[in-house]
Amino acid sequence: MAANFWTSSHSKQLLDQEEVDTVQPADKDKGITLDDLRVVKLHMTNHIARLAQQVKVRQRVIATAVAYFRRVYTRRSMTEYDPCLVAPTCLYLASKAEESTVPAKLLVFWLKKLYADDRYKFEIRDILEMEMKLLEALDYYLVIYHPYRALTPLLQDAGMTDLTVPALSLVNDTYKMDLILIYPPYMISLACIYIASVLKDKDTNSWFEELRVDMNVIKNISMEILDFYDNYKLPTEERVNAAMNKLAVKT
Amino acid sequence: MGDGTRSNRPAWLQQYDLVGKIGEGTYGLVFLAKSKLASNKGKCIAIKKFKGSKDGDGVSPTAIREIMLLREISHENVVKLVNVHINHSDMSLYLAFDYAEHDIYEIIKHHREKVSQPIKEYTVKSLLWQLLNGLNYLHSNWIIHRDLKPSNILVMGEGDEQGVVKIADFGLARIYQAPLKPLSDNGVVVTIWYRAPELLLGAKHYTSAVDMWAVGCIFAELLTLKPLFQGVEVKATPNPFQLDQLEKIFKVLGHPTQEKWPTLVNLPCWQNDQQHIQSRKYDNPGLHSVVHLPQKTPAYDLLSKMLEYDPRKRVTAAQALEHEYFRIEPPPGRNALVPSQPGEKAVNYPARPVDTTTDFEGSTSVQASQPVSSGNAVSGSLAAPSVVAARPVPRQMPMVGMPRMPGAPGIAAFNLSSQASMAGLNPNNIPMPRAASQAHQQQLRRKDPGMGMPNTGYPQQKSRRF
Repeated sequence: MAANFWTSSHSKQLLDQEEVDTVQPADKDKGITLDDLRVVKLHMTNHIARLAQQVKVRQRVIATAVAYFRRVYTRRSMTEYDPCLVAPTCLYLASKAEESTVPAKLLVFWLKKLYADDRYKFEIRDILEMEMKLLEALDYYLVIYHPYRALTPLLQDAGMTDLTVPALSLVNDTYKMDLILIYPPYMISLACIYIASVLKDKDTNSWFEELRVDMNVIKNISMEILDFYDNYKLPTEERVNAAMNKLAVKT
Repeated sequence: MGDGTRSNRPAWLQQYDLVGKIGEGTYGLVFLAKSKLASNKGKCIAIKKFKGSKDGDGVSPTAIREIMLLREISHENVVKLVNVHINHSDMSLYLAFDYAEHDIYEIIKHHREKVSQPIKEYTVKSLLWQLLNGLNYLHSNWIIHRDLKPSNILVMGEGDEQGVVKIADFGLARIYQAPLKPLSDNGVVVTIWYRAPELLLGAKHYTSAVDMWAVGCIFAELLTLKPLFQGVEVKATPNPFQLDQLEKIFKVLGHPTQEKWPTLVNLPCWQNDQQHIQSRKYDNPGLHSVVHLPQKTPAYDLLSKMLEYDPRKRVTAAQALEHEYFRIEPPPGRNALVPSQPGEKAVNYPARPVDTTTDFEGSTSVQASQPVSSGNAVSGSLAAPSVVAARPVPRQMPMVGMPRMPGAPGIAAFNLSSQASMAGLNPNNIPMPRAASQAHQQQLRRKDPGMGMPNTGYPQQKSRRF
């Protein structure tokens, strides 16, 4: 498992883009569109990162939390699982899985401090109850592989360690999309290296050729990342609230 | 769903008949249950319950780590997690495993106290080989177990997996490929008797070699029926240094030297040397005399390689599996509990004692423990073994010899009494023949342990005994 991505549960649970881009029936009933879903997931990814900054956890914990968050909504509706609660709870669960446990008390404290809106405020009990529901929703599969691990050895192999900084920030940004649910993590690392090398005008063609990876997949991932930068960057508060208000409607 | 009177009971509970409690640890309790599902009817399941915490910090990180690892791994010699259940009302978590009737702790104890004979070489070798086989799988997947001890090494009872070893209790196991923190950060690990010297001396970055040290200690214990290094633990100190344990080791293996173990000088507790361990002198009776093995035997050679001071020189699980010890007669087999010679009697290991008075909530149907009247066919106190968990100390659990309520909720009365009679409601815990299953059992045991099995990777079986 830990040695081999291909035998891991993560590998077996990779999904197609269409499977990820599915609005759950309960959410559809409330008028949630695919675009709303993307906006809420992006907003909550930023929410998780902001919270993580306060409680001081490593980037990998954030990445695992976001992967849990995105995976949950391929199976559960936002109507049933309030994203405002699922987001901090994913961070809570990821902190345990990645052995950097953050007390629930601390998360609750920061939620209250950071947000004026009551929607984001919860009690310890809420987080602990949601933790159990998340474990069920994730079917107890908690190991997530990340593109970070392969990045450094790949850059070293390519002799392009000077691309480390841009490639790393590209990898961080991939969590604003669902790529981690769809592609093997090392493919995502390669796409980030590819984009970074193009941005810095480095010729990497021969190195990529030697890797014997499917360049079409790498280019598809790269296109998605670039497309994301063009279209989504930061949704406005109004756009987020519009989507969140649809969810808040009682049926 | 639960009916009105038991509305707290989760629906999943319906798929089990609870037999009773079989173990207890700091995390919670272990139960024996039988599956009621049509696909699995009557199959024994061990259910490990993690206590919930409502205002504390949710599911214990130990449980999270154990589930996370068990969900990824699958190997014949590693315990199989068959299900995870949640009781939302009290926030408790249940892990359901295939039940194993025996463990190496109980097997050794049985030989020491009841059989008064060493364990047969075939059995020792088969248990060791399978233990190494499971460990090799874990290590090649970057998992260190960190808490190997005889009670965590289970052995399957009657059935198609009879005599197969299952490594259990992954509460302390770690993936060590890319830890976010030094491995030493989350507390000192491994029961002190099986703890490797580098841990006792405060190593920050340790490796899978700590598990191999524990295997060496277990191997010696299988041979002599006595723990090899029985140090007295100094509790309540954050310092990993355990003087008594180290002295026990040095007395058998001699003083470690920088020559034998070059990185020794870098270990924090050796460097500080607050208790002047560096300058102590030990008589060195030699490992061979403690385990009663001639120094030239393959068994001794393998053991001494497992108990190598320098973790970098210590034999790995993969290397150990290739050792000559496993190639000479008798070769190891899949069923470690079959008789090793024609005409030899199989040892009848006792079934695990079950406390049938405790339900899933952990409440006992009888208020307080009380002395047992001799009129009851109950041994004064029964050992409380654990299936998948650390053995509690002390191991004795008061067993209450009160008549049980027939048809207690969720308990099949019939199973209850039959289990109880086998499980230890039996004076002095003498293993009793299981009348009904005896013939069947004999047949099973006559089978060649290696034959008829798909390629399991066992060393080639030459002339097999029948």
